[in-house]
Amino acid sequence: MKISIQWLRDFLDLPEAPRAVGERLTLAGLAVDGVARAGSDTVLELDVTANRGDCLSHIGVARELSAIYDVDIRSPEAAAAEGSAAMDDVFAIAIEDAGLCRRYCGRYISGVRVGPSPEWLVRRLEAVGIRSVNNVADATNYVLMELGHPLHAFDADTLDGSRIVVRRAAAGETLRTIDGDERRLDDTTLVIADARRAVALAGIMGGLDTEISDRTTNVLLESAWFDPVSVRKTAKRIRLGTEASYRFERGADVAMAATALERAAGLIIELAGGVALRGVIDVYPAPIEPDRIALRRGRIAEHLGAAVPDAEVERVFRRLGFEPRVSADGWTVRTPSHRHDIAREEDLIEEIARHHGYERFPATLPVWSGQGRQLPSHAGETHVRDTLAGLGYTETCSIAFGNRDTQAAFAPGVEPVEIRNPLSEDAPILRTSLVPSVLGSIQWNLNRGLRDVALYEIAKVYPTSGEKRRLVMAATGAADAPRIHQSTVETDFFRLKGEVEALLSRFDLVLAESTDALPPYLHPGRSVRLGAVASVGELHAEWESRFKFRQKICVAEIDIEHVLERGLRAIATAPIPKYPAVRRDLSLLVARRTPYRDVVEAVHRAGIAELTDVFPFDRLERGPFSASFYSLAVTLVFQSGERTLTDSEVQGFAERVLAELRKIGIELRS
Amino acid sequence: MAGIDDLRQIGERFDGEKARAADRSSLEELHARYLSRKSGLLTLEMQRLRELPADQRPAFGKLANRLKQRIESELAEREAALAGEERSAREETEALDVSLPGSRPRIGHRHPITLARRAIEDIFLAMGYTVEDGPEVETTYNNFDALNIGPEHPSRDESDTFYISDDIVLRTQTSPVQIRTMERQPPPIRIICPGRVFRRDELDATHSPMFHQIEGLVVDEGISFGDLKGTLDLLHRQFFGERTRTRLRPSYFPFTEPSAEVDVSCEFCESRGCRVCKHTGWIEMMGAGMVHPAVYDCVGYDTARYSGFAFGLGIDRYAMLKYGIDDIPLLFQNDMRFLSQF
Repeated sequence: MKISIQWLRDFLDLPEAPRAVGERLTLAGLAVDGVARAGSDTVLELDVTANRGDCLSHIGVARELSAIYDVDIRSPEAAAAEGSAAMDDVFAIAIEDAGLCRRYCGRYISGVRVGPSPEWLVRRLEAVGIRSVNNVADATNYVLMELGHPLHAFDADTLDGSRIVVRRAAAGETLRTIDGDERRLDDTTLVIADARRAVALAGIMGGLDTEISDRTTNVLLESAWFDPVSVRKTAKRIRLGTEASYRFERGADVAMAATALERAAGLIIELAGGVALRGVIDVYPAPIEPDRIALRRGRIAEHLGAAVPDAEVERVFRRLGFEPRVSADGWTVRTPSHRHDIAREEDLIEEIARHHGYERFPATLPVWSGQGRQLPSHAGETHVRDTLAGLGYTETCSIAFGNRDTQAAFAPGVEPVEIRNPLSEDAPILRTSLVPSVLGSIQWNLNRGLRDVALYEIAKVYPTSGEKRRLVMAATGAADAPRIHQSTVETDFFRLKGEVEALLSRFDLVLAESTDALPPYLHPGRSVRLGAVASVGELHAEWESRFKFRQKICVAEIDIEHVLERGLRAIATAPIPKYPAVRRDLSLLVARRTPYRDVVEAVHRAGIAELTDVFPFDRLERGPFSASFYSLAVTLVFQSGERTLTDSEVQGFAERVLAELRKIGIELRS
Repeated sequence: MAGIDDLRQIGERFDGEKARAADRSSLEELHARYLSRKSGLLTLEMQRLRELPADQRPAFGKLANRLKQRIESELAEREAALAGEERSAREETEALDVSLPGSRPRIGHRHPITLARRAIEDIFLAMGYTVEDGPEVETTYNNFDALNIGPEHPSRDESDTFYISDDIVLRTQTSPVQIRTMERQPPPIRIICPGRVFRRDELDATHSPMFHQIEGLVVDEGISFGDLKGTLDLLHRQFFGERTRTRLRPSYFPFTEPSAEVDVSCEFCESRGCRVCKHTGWIEMMGAGMVHPAVYDCVGYDTARYSGFAFGLGIDRYAMLKYGIDDIPLLFQNDMRFLSQF
């Protein structure tokens, strides 16, 4: 909304320069986004909130300023010279739908000469962004900008039957509006009609056939009050927003309808000549009564944190057009007809707060006892994020929408949540897998010349069964920063598997490994499941080529929701062993089809309580042994909490382990 | 005085051999040759003390002991010198070009939104707030109706809100967590709810269809607008720096009354006016206000007894201002050249 400073000065004396006026308005709730020179005038650009339709006019802004500066307002002259012939002898107005049109006032002006507007009027309208049309239309627009009330001028001679009927459109009825578009109407649309047809979309735009033209001599001037919801729905349905609909949607001032009519009629006669027929037709079947709201004095201080003097309370209300009447514990306040946003005591308190000044209330802190808590998952999540940072993974954040086909490939069988009105048909669902996003991020970086990238994201996926948090990790290239001192290690399956194991090791989880039901986007021979919570692997060749990756990509997907629900294991320390551990290395020949997991399980089947660790340290695929075997060197670590183990005891343990290994066909390598 | 001459000869012989000893092993040999307990030349000579006439013994003994001390100390001295030489030789061969860079392990970076979220959470936790969570796919009732956002409110348009169905939306704000919390428990309430929200805007320099908010809600007896001011003032001084000032100016939200837009003083120009603050000296940061009684009506709180405040801040915006990020897509492109700066 553009507001002209010169125009404001018609209504009140401004004691400060325009920029300062703008700042005052901003601090009273009418945000001034810009202050610009326009010839000899200055124009304020106001961002008026949706509840303050009353400030979409110069009088409305002047009213706020009269409270800000505590100065009087001069009302504009609103009177039209009348002739002797009575209007209701030549014209009739009827409201058929009084729910959607609460008031309709009409004036008949005869003998006008339509022509260009004088320079001062053209400039004023231009300053607030309105193009001059002709003196009659300009008069209605001038009053719109001045008083905030939309008006419409018909060429009275084009109105069939010399009558106006406010009614709902008939199904299939059409109307060509002033902008030239043929509008198809239905029975939710409120129209202004003459005896025969619709001649205007109520509160939105007039019809082309009945608009003011060079030939117009008689004018029927409309000033009405239309239901905000109805205007909004119609404007939205036909995709037509106008200065008029903008104001009716926010609630026009029903009392202003009559004043604006007189102001505009007077202006038309001044600019275009002619004379108003005697009398106004004012159809207002059920006058809207102002609200009376109780305001308790004590409530002001309670709500705002400091009391406001009674005189200040009353001053603010009077300046804004409210009528406060003193009551036992405060006031009963009558709200003005231009304020549709005032319904409760709190609304009145806000008026006091705004005009007394938000800055005048003390800044305090609430006083309370008790303590705050983080989310239950917080400790675990912090551990995950810290560990990932330590492992060299950088956190990403991706938009949560996904492509239907891609998501289905990465989360097969998962029903996605579909967005009814997506921004793009290419991404109409909420993600069911984070993997495509992180692969996209890897691709973005590789395409920009990077080679070594490790990324993660913790975010929700949204199957129809309910949203859940997931963790995705993806890494490619060197696992560490390049260095001249030693060669770098490339990220591979085992690196990522180890990182995931390390990441999850502090959580209260059992991570049984399995190669069943592996995700289809992973290399079937280079992927593994860790318990029910994680799958780790190298990217499948098909997706490697679809994403045009020319280097190995490793991906892990983790059900972090479950991991965090399980939580970190409680720490219960064990004493540091007093007796030394003994290591025994075994060099084994293992059948090629036997995975390492079987070897470890066999070792544990020996049931040796003193066995504290077992790990592989060498594996040879070929050597001086049969091609159907591989050689595997493992270290067994034995330790007793009670004594130093003897050589013969350890030898005995090793024998028992070997006996178990032999059962699955594993022999010592001679 | 055969004994004393012998001692003198031993001493002279030692001097000659010591001069030739070039390393620590020859020093050890020398030590053995002269001082070994069984066969050292001086040891053996000293054993001859008993063979000497009594009157010569004191002089011989004195001389022999002096020689022994001299040999020991000179050997020790020589050894220390040699050890020093060896050490410097080794240090020289081991010397590195220490100006080469260290082998830096790769350390990951946190996303700026996470950094800002954690910082804000910590400020409120220290004030005694509890962190709450809620779903991103939310009912239309919790997202709009219960927050006094009527069925005709423009923010409910399909052009502004993502709909799953008439009754389900992608939450447009974290405020529905207020409703969930108040429906679950009676006052006192003091919570913050961080989370992801969605609005139907194309991704560009200043908009995103997805962003992050932190909702704050305090409901108790005697909570005032002044408490809201003080709380936000503290937040901004801790997050942006002690010199930051906070300004509340009247605004409108359906679920608060009075409502406020909350600005912070522009630190880029020290409030003198610059491009960032659009030459106003202030930067708009969030919306806040006293909880509207209609919201209490929805959750069944006694409006006569309780009052409270609520605020909703955009984490992305806080991160952008704090870290000087001027383009929203940077937050979601996941470009390492950007992320590695955090």
